[in-house]
Amino acid sequence: MEGDSSTTDASQLGITGEYMSGGYVLQSPDDDGEESLNDHEDGGMKENFREQDIYLPIANVARIMKNGIPPTGKIAKDAKECVQECVSEFISFITSEPLKLYLQKFREAMKGEKGIPGVSVGEGLGEELTEDNFTNQLPAGIITADGQQQNVMVYTTSYQQIPGVQQIQFS
Amino acid sequence: MSGNKVEDNVDHASNSKGISLPMTRVKLIMKSSPEVSSINQEALLLTTKATELFVQYLALSSFLNGSGKDKNTLSYSDLANTAEETETFQFLTDILPRKILVRDYLKSLEENPVEEADN
Repeated sequence: MEGDSSTTDASQLGITGEYMSGGYVLQSPDDDGEESLNDHEDGGMKENFREQDIYLPIANVARIMKNGIPPTGKIAKDAKECVQECVSEFISFITSEPLKLYLQKFREAMKGEKGIPGVSVGEGLGEELTEDNFTNQLPAGIITADGQQQNVMVYTTSYQQIPGVQQIQFS
Repeated sequence: MSGNKVEDNVDHASNSKGISLPMTRVKLIMKSSPEVSSINQEALLLTTKATELFVQYLALSSFLNGSGKDKNTLSYSDLANTAEETETFQFLTDILPRKILVRDYLKSLEENPVEEADN
Protein backbone atom coordinates (compact mmCIF):
# COMPACT_ATOMS: atom_id res chain seq x y z
CA MET A 1 0.00 0.00 0.00
CA GLU A 2 2.29 2.70 1.19
CA GLY A 3 5.34 0.90 -0.08
CA ASP A 4 6.67 -0.24 3.25
CA SER A 5 9.92 -2.05 3.06
CA SER A 6 9.00 -4.82 5.42
CA THR A 7 10.82 -8.01 4.73
CA THR A 8 10.35 -11.60 5.59
CA ASP A 9 14.02 -12.35 5.10
CA ALA A 10 15.01 -14.27 8.17
CA SER A 11 18.56 -13.01 8.36
CA GLN A 12 17.53 -9.39 8.32
CA LEU A 13 14.97 -9.83 11.01
CA GLY A 14 17.34 -11.44 13.42
CA ILE A 15 14.96 -14.32 13.88
CA THR A 16 16.13 -16.78 16.43
CA GLY A 17 14.07 -19.50 14.83
CA GLU A 18 13.71 -21.41 18.04
CA TYR A 19 10.66 -23.53 18.32
CA MET A 20 9.62 -25.46 21.36
CA SER A 21 7.53 -28.51 20.71
CA GLY A 22 4.54 -29.31 22.85
CA GLY A 23 4.60 -31.68 25.79
CA TYR A 24 7.50 -31.99 28.13
CA VAL A 25 10.82 -30.38 27.43
CA LEU A 26 13.57 -32.44 28.98
CA GLN A 27 16.57 -30.78 30.49
CA SER A 28 19.76 -32.32 31.78
CA PRO A 29 20.36 -31.87 35.50
CA ASP A 30 23.26 -29.48 35.17
CA ASP A 31 21.96 -26.75 33.00
CA ASP A 32 19.44 -24.21 34.07
CA GLY A 33 17.36 -24.34 30.98
CA GLU A 34 19.25 -22.04 28.67
CA GLU A 35 20.54 -24.88 26.56
CA SER A 36 17.23 -26.63 26.17
CA LEU A 37 15.95 -24.01 23.79
CA ASN A 38 18.42 -25.31 21.26
CA ASP A 39 17.44 -28.91 21.71
CA HIS A 40 15.51 -29.52 18.57
CA GLU A 41 16.19 -30.88 15.15
CA ASP A 42 17.48 -28.52 12.59
CA GLY A 43 15.19 -30.08 10.04
CA GLY A 44 12.21 -29.08 12.08
CA MET A 45 13.39 -25.53 12.34
CA LYS A 46 13.70 -25.06 8.63
CA GLU A 47 10.56 -26.89 7.63
CA ASN A 48 8.22 -25.30 10.08
CA PHE A 49 8.69 -21.61 9.52
CA ARG A 50 5.64 -20.72 11.51
CA GLU A 51 4.47 -17.26 12.27
CA GLN A 52 5.77 -17.66 15.81
CA ASP A 53 9.29 -17.55 14.41
CA ILE A 54 9.05 -13.83 13.82
CA TYR A 55 9.69 -12.12 17.09
CA LEU A 56 9.78 -8.63 18.49
CA PRO A 57 13.22 -7.40 19.62
CA ILE A 58 14.10 -8.96 22.94
CA ALA A 59 15.44 -5.69 24.37
CA ASN A 60 12.06 -4.02 23.99
CA VAL A 61 10.24 -7.01 25.41
CA ALA A 62 12.60 -7.21 28.38
CA ARG A 63 12.20 -3.54 29.10
CA ILE A 64 8.43 -3.78 29.13
CA MET A 65 8.59 -6.80 31.40
CA LYS A 66 10.77 -4.90 33.82
CA ASN A 67 8.26 -2.10 33.86
CA GLY A 68 5.54 -4.55 34.80
CA ILE A 69 7.12 -6.19 37.80
CA PRO A 70 8.20 -4.55 41.07
CA PRO A 71 11.45 -2.61 40.66
CA THR A 72 13.50 -4.97 42.78
CA GLY A 73 12.61 -7.99 40.67
CA LYS A 74 14.91 -9.74 38.25
CA ILE A 75 14.16 -11.70 35.14
CA ALA A 76 15.85 -14.89 33.99
CA LYS A 77 17.23 -14.94 30.48
CA ASP A 78 15.14 -17.89 29.36
CA ALA A 79 12.08 -16.15 30.74
CA LYS A 80 12.75 -13.15 28.48
CA GLU A 81 13.18 -15.38 25.47
CA CYS A 82 10.03 -17.27 26.06
CA VAL A 83 7.96 -14.13 26.66
CA GLN A 84 9.29 -12.98 23.31
CA GLU A 85 7.72 -16.07 21.76
CA CYS A 86 4.53 -15.62 23.75
CA VAL A 87 4.21 -12.12 22.38
CA SER A 88 4.31 -13.32 18.81
CA GLU A 89 1.75 -15.98 19.66
CA PHE A 90 -0.45 -13.34 21.29
CA ILE A 91 -0.35 -11.07 18.24
CA SER A 92 -1.20 -13.94 15.91
CA PHE A 93 -3.96 -15.03 18.24
CA ILE A 94 -5.77 -11.72 18.48
CA THR A 95 -5.33 -11.16 14.77
CA SER A 96 -6.61 -14.46 13.51
CA GLU A 97 -9.21 -15.63 16.03
CA PRO A 98 -11.86 -12.92 15.57
CA LEU A 99 -11.33 -13.09 11.82
CA LYS A 100 -11.85 -16.84 11.78
CA LEU A 101 -15.04 -16.56 13.79
CA TYR A 102 -16.37 -13.83 11.55
CA LEU A 103 -15.54 -15.68 8.34
CA GLN A 104 -17.08 -18.85 9.68
CA LYS A 105 -20.33 -17.11 10.46
CA PHE A 106 -20.25 -15.28 7.17
CA ARG A 107 -19.77 -18.51 5.24
CA GLU A 108 -22.54 -20.26 7.11
CA ALA A 109 -24.87 -17.46 6.22
CA MET A 110 -23.74 -17.55 2.62
CA LYS A 111 -24.56 -21.24 2.38
CA GLY A 112 -28.10 -20.27 3.15
CA GLU A 113 -28.58 -22.48 6.16
CA LYS A 114 -31.83 -20.79 6.92
CA GLY A 115 -32.76 -20.46 3.30
CA ILE A 116 -32.87 -22.74 0.34
CA PRO A 117 -29.89 -24.94 -0.19
CA GLY A 118 -28.24 -24.19 -3.47
CA VAL A 119 -29.63 -20.72 -3.85
CA SER A 120 -26.80 -18.24 -3.74
CA VAL A 121 -27.42 -15.15 -1.78
CA GLY A 122 -27.71 -12.04 -3.86
CA GLU A 123 -27.72 -13.66 -7.22
CA GLY A 124 -30.73 -15.30 -8.75
CA LEU A 125 -33.16 -13.50 -6.54
CA GLY A 126 -34.25 -11.33 -9.41
CA GLU A 127 -34.92 -14.34 -11.59
CA GLU A 128 -36.84 -16.11 -8.88
CA LEU A 129 -39.26 -13.27 -8.46
CA THR A 130 -41.33 -13.88 -11.53
CA GLU A 131 -44.95 -13.17 -12.14
CA ASP A 132 -45.69 -16.84 -12.16
CA ASN A 133 -47.60 -18.89 -9.68
CA PHE A 134 -46.48 -17.92 -6.25
CA THR A 135 -46.95 -21.07 -4.35
CA ASN A 136 -44.17 -21.85 -1.96
CA GLN A 137 -43.08 -19.00 0.14
CA LEU A 138 -40.00 -19.67 2.13
CA PRO A 139 -38.80 -17.08 4.58
CA ALA A 140 -35.07 -16.67 4.50
CA GLY A 141 -32.95 -14.62 6.83
CA ILE A 142 -29.99 -13.60 4.82
CA ILE A 143 -26.98 -11.64 5.88
CA THR A 144 -25.87 -9.38 3.08
CA ALA A 145 -22.35 -8.30 2.34
CA ASP A 146 -22.49 -5.20 4.49
CA GLY A 147 -23.43 -7.27 7.49
CA GLN A 148 -27.04 -6.26 7.68
CA GLN A 149 -29.52 -9.00 8.23
CA GLN A 150 -32.46 -8.70 5.96
CA ASN A 151 -35.49 -10.85 5.84
CA VAL A 152 -36.12 -11.83 2.31
CA MET A 153 -38.96 -13.83 0.99
CA VAL A 154 -37.77 -16.26 -1.59
CA TYR A 155 -40.36 -17.56 -3.93
CA THR A 156 -40.31 -20.70 -5.90
CA THR A 157 -42.48 -21.40 -8.79
CA SER A 158 -44.42 -24.57 -8.89
CA TYR A 159 -46.06 -26.20 -11.77
CA GLN A 160 -49.75 -26.02 -11.13
CA GLN A 161 -52.41 -27.19 -13.32
CA ILE A 162 -55.59 -25.24 -12.95
CA PRO A 163 -58.47 -26.84 -14.75
CA GLY A 164 -60.00 -24.69 -17.38
CA VAL A 165 -57.24 -22.18 -17.47
CA GLN A 166 -54.79 -22.18 -20.22
CA GLN A 167 -51.30 -22.21 -18.97
CA ILE A 168 -49.59 -18.94 -19.35
CA GLN A 169 -46.38 -19.13 -21.17
CA PHE A 170 -43.71 -16.61 -20.66
CA SER A 171 -41.26 -16.23 -23.41
CA MET B 1 -6.26 8.50 1.03
CA SER B 2 -8.23 9.89 3.89
CA GLY B 3 -5.92 8.27 6.36
CA ASN B 4 -3.44 11.09 6.47
CA LYS B 5 -4.73 12.58 9.66
CA VAL B 6 -5.02 9.17 11.20
CA GLU B 7 -1.47 8.37 10.25
CA ASP B 8 -0.29 11.62 11.80
CA ASN B 9 -2.00 10.71 15.03
CA VAL B 10 -0.54 7.25 14.88
CA ASP B 11 2.95 8.57 14.25
CA HIS B 12 2.60 10.98 17.11
CA ALA B 13 1.46 8.25 19.44
CA SER B 14 4.32 6.00 18.48
CA ASN B 15 6.91 8.74 18.80
CA SER B 16 5.75 9.81 22.22
CA LYS B 17 6.42 7.62 25.21
CA GLY B 18 3.22 5.66 24.64
CA ILE B 19 4.60 2.91 22.46
CA SER B 20 7.94 1.20 22.71
CA LEU B 21 7.48 -1.74 20.38
CA PRO B 22 8.30 -1.51 16.66
CA MET B 23 5.02 -1.34 14.81
CA THR B 24 6.46 -2.57 11.53
CA ARG B 25 7.48 -5.78 13.23
CA VAL B 26 4.05 -6.15 14.82
CA LYS B 27 2.51 -5.62 11.40
CA LEU B 28 4.70 -8.36 9.98
CA ILE B 29 3.52 -10.83 12.58
CA MET B 30 -0.09 -9.87 11.99
CA LYS B 31 0.33 -10.34 8.27
CA SER B 32 1.68 -13.82 8.75
CA SER B 33 -1.85 -14.97 9.54
CA PRO B 34 -3.22 -16.50 6.36
CA GLU B 35 -6.62 -14.82 6.37
CA VAL B 36 -5.30 -11.30 6.76
CA SER B 37 -4.87 -9.13 3.71
CA SER B 38 -4.37 -5.57 4.85
CA ILE B 39 -4.20 -3.93 8.23
CA ASN B 40 -5.86 -0.74 9.33
CA GLN B 41 -3.39 1.71 10.80
CA GLU B 42 -5.45 2.26 13.92
CA ALA B 43 -5.87 -1.47 14.42
CA LEU B 44 -2.10 -1.80 14.23
CA LEU B 45 -1.59 0.85 16.86
CA LEU B 46 -4.17 -0.75 19.10
CA THR B 47 -2.62 -4.18 18.69
CA THR B 48 0.84 -2.84 19.50
CA LYS B 49 -0.40 -1.14 22.64
CA ALA B 50 -2.39 -4.21 23.63
CA THR B 51 0.74 -6.30 23.18
CA GLU B 52 2.70 -4.07 25.54
CA LEU B 53 -0.01 -4.36 28.15
CA PHE B 54 -0.06 -8.09 27.63
CA VAL B 55 3.67 -8.34 28.28
CA GLN B 56 3.31 -6.42 31.52
CA TYR B 57 0.31 -8.46 32.57
CA LEU B 58 2.04 -11.76 31.84
CA ALA B 59 5.23 -10.70 33.57
CA LEU B 60 3.47 -9.46 36.67
CA SER B 61 1.09 -12.42 36.93
CA SER B 62 3.95 -14.88 36.61
CA PHE B 63 6.09 -12.94 39.05
CA LEU B 64 3.36 -12.87 41.67
CA ASN B 65 2.64 -16.52 41.02
CA GLY B 66 6.23 -17.42 41.78
CA SER B 67 6.90 -15.02 44.59
CA GLY B 68 5.47 -17.46 47.10
CA LYS B 69 8.74 -19.31 46.82
CA ASP B 70 10.43 -16.25 48.22
CA LYS B 71 12.70 -15.58 45.31
CA ASN B 72 13.04 -12.31 43.53
CA THR B 73 13.58 -13.62 40.03
CA LEU B 74 11.05 -14.30 37.33
CA SER B 75 11.96 -17.65 35.86
CA TYR B 76 10.73 -19.76 32.98
CA SER B 77 8.92 -22.15 35.27
CA ASP B 78 6.90 -19.26 36.73
CA LEU B 79 5.68 -18.48 33.25
CA ALA B 80 4.90 -22.11 32.46
CA ASN B 81 2.96 -22.54 35.68
CA THR B 82 1.01 -19.35 35.12
CA ALA B 83 0.09 -20.46 31.60
CA GLU B 84 -1.23 -23.76 32.90
CA GLU B 85 -3.13 -22.35 35.84
CA THR B 86 -4.59 -19.12 34.55
CA GLU B 87 -7.43 -19.35 32.10
CA THR B 88 -6.45 -16.17 30.30
CA PHE B 89 -3.10 -17.64 29.34
CA GLN B 90 -4.35 -21.05 28.28
CA PHE B 91 -3.54 -20.30 24.65
CA LEU B 92 0.13 -20.22 25.61
CA THR B 93 0.31 -23.75 26.98
CA ASP B 94 1.59 -25.18 23.72
CA ILE B 95 4.59 -22.91 23.58
CA LEU B 96 5.24 -22.84 27.31
CA PRO B 97 5.58 -26.46 28.28
CA ARG B 98 6.63 -27.27 31.79
CA LYS B 99 10.11 -28.63 32.01
CA ILE B 100 11.06 -31.65 34.02
CA LEU B 101 14.43 -33.26 34.55
CA VAL B 102 15.17 -36.33 32.51
CA ARG B 103 15.63 -38.50 35.54
CA ASP B 104 12.26 -37.45 36.96
CA TYR B 105 10.61 -38.24 33.65
CA LEU B 106 12.20 -41.66 33.49
CA LYS B 107 11.18 -42.29 37.06
CA SER B 108 7.58 -41.39 36.34
CA LEU B 109 7.65 -43.69 33.36
CA GLU B 110 8.77 -46.54 35.54
CA GLU B 111 6.07 -45.87 38.05
CA ASN B 112 3.33 -45.45 35.50
CA PRO B 113 4.22 -47.51 32.49
CA VAL B 114 2.44 -45.92 29.55
CA GLU B 115 2.70 -47.08 25.97
CA GLU B 116 4.64 -44.41 24.20
CA ALA B 117 3.26 -43.16 20.93
CA ASP B 118 5.37 -43.67 17.87
CA ASN B 119 7.43 -40.56 17.18
